[in-house]
Amino acid sequence: MTRATALVLGMLAWAGVAAVAVTVVNAWQDENQVLAFLPILAAVVVAWAIGELVTARVFAAHQREVK
Amino acid sequence: MSALEHSFEHRELKDPSFLRFIFGNPAMAPLWLLARLYLGYQWLLAGWHKAWGDQRWINVPGPDGIPLKNFWANAIKVNDAGTGAIKYDWYRDFLTFMSDHGWYHWFSWVIALGEVTVGVLLIVGAFTGVAALAGATLNFNFLLAGSASTNPVLFILALLIMFGWKVSGWIGVDRWLLPALGTPWEPVPGVLEERREHPHPQTPRFGQGVTQS
Repeated sequence: MTRATALVLGMLAWAGVAAVAVTVVNAWQDENQVLAFLPILAAVVVAWAIGELVTARVFAAHQREVK
Repeated sequence: MSALEHSFEHRELKDPSFLRFIFGNPAMAPLWLLARLYLGYQWLLAGWHKAWGDQRWINVPGPDGIPLKNFWANAIKVNDAGTGAIKYDWYRDFLTFMSDHGWYHWFSWVIALGEVTVGVLLIVGAFTGVAALAGATLNFNFLLAGSASTNPVLFILALLIMFGWKVSGWIGVDRWLLPALGTPWEPVPGVLEERREHPHPQTPRFGQGVTQS
């Protein structure tokens, strides 16, 4: 259950990156191309952190239990 | 050993260490992330204009793909001097065939949604190498059709991302997706016959990177 939650959380985090990118492009289009980079980059950093700090740790802990 | 066997013997030629560092070391992942985000954003923006913008190619009142038809018409046009935007006759014949058969109706959907898909995949880092290849193919076709614009820069960037496919999606979904699917050097047990014949004592861990020890 914990692993499934961690996995879903990780997937949702990256789906969130896609959602942020699409929203930014829809809102700003050709304007503010440099500024548009920032929310996308921020979303990537958050998704990466969730993957490293939550999903990977949960799976690593499970792996240790199995061994 | 014959001369042929000597010349073409089976051995792997290693890349120089600096190339292996650039294209295969996770330390370079932040740089690849920036390249990937830039390229992905450009594709998403281009696809967005074609799919949902004011001058969109698809989902319009009336027949779809008229802008693509006009683009093809301009590309295949030959002037009085016998030259045009397209330099290869076979490519001009190819576009002429597609235009004459009205393929612009559905091909405009392929291009518009393809560009959006490539953009999203590059931004989230999923199947990064394949997405970059698809993007490079689009750039290549636009270039063959005589449209330079940003295509040369995006094409080179896509090639570089393809070369660095192992790490270009490292800060992204590929970090988890590639090992889960089974990469050539880390197959999912039972997928490859070699795996069955010579089973590895350890099952690949979920989330274990392809180049991670």
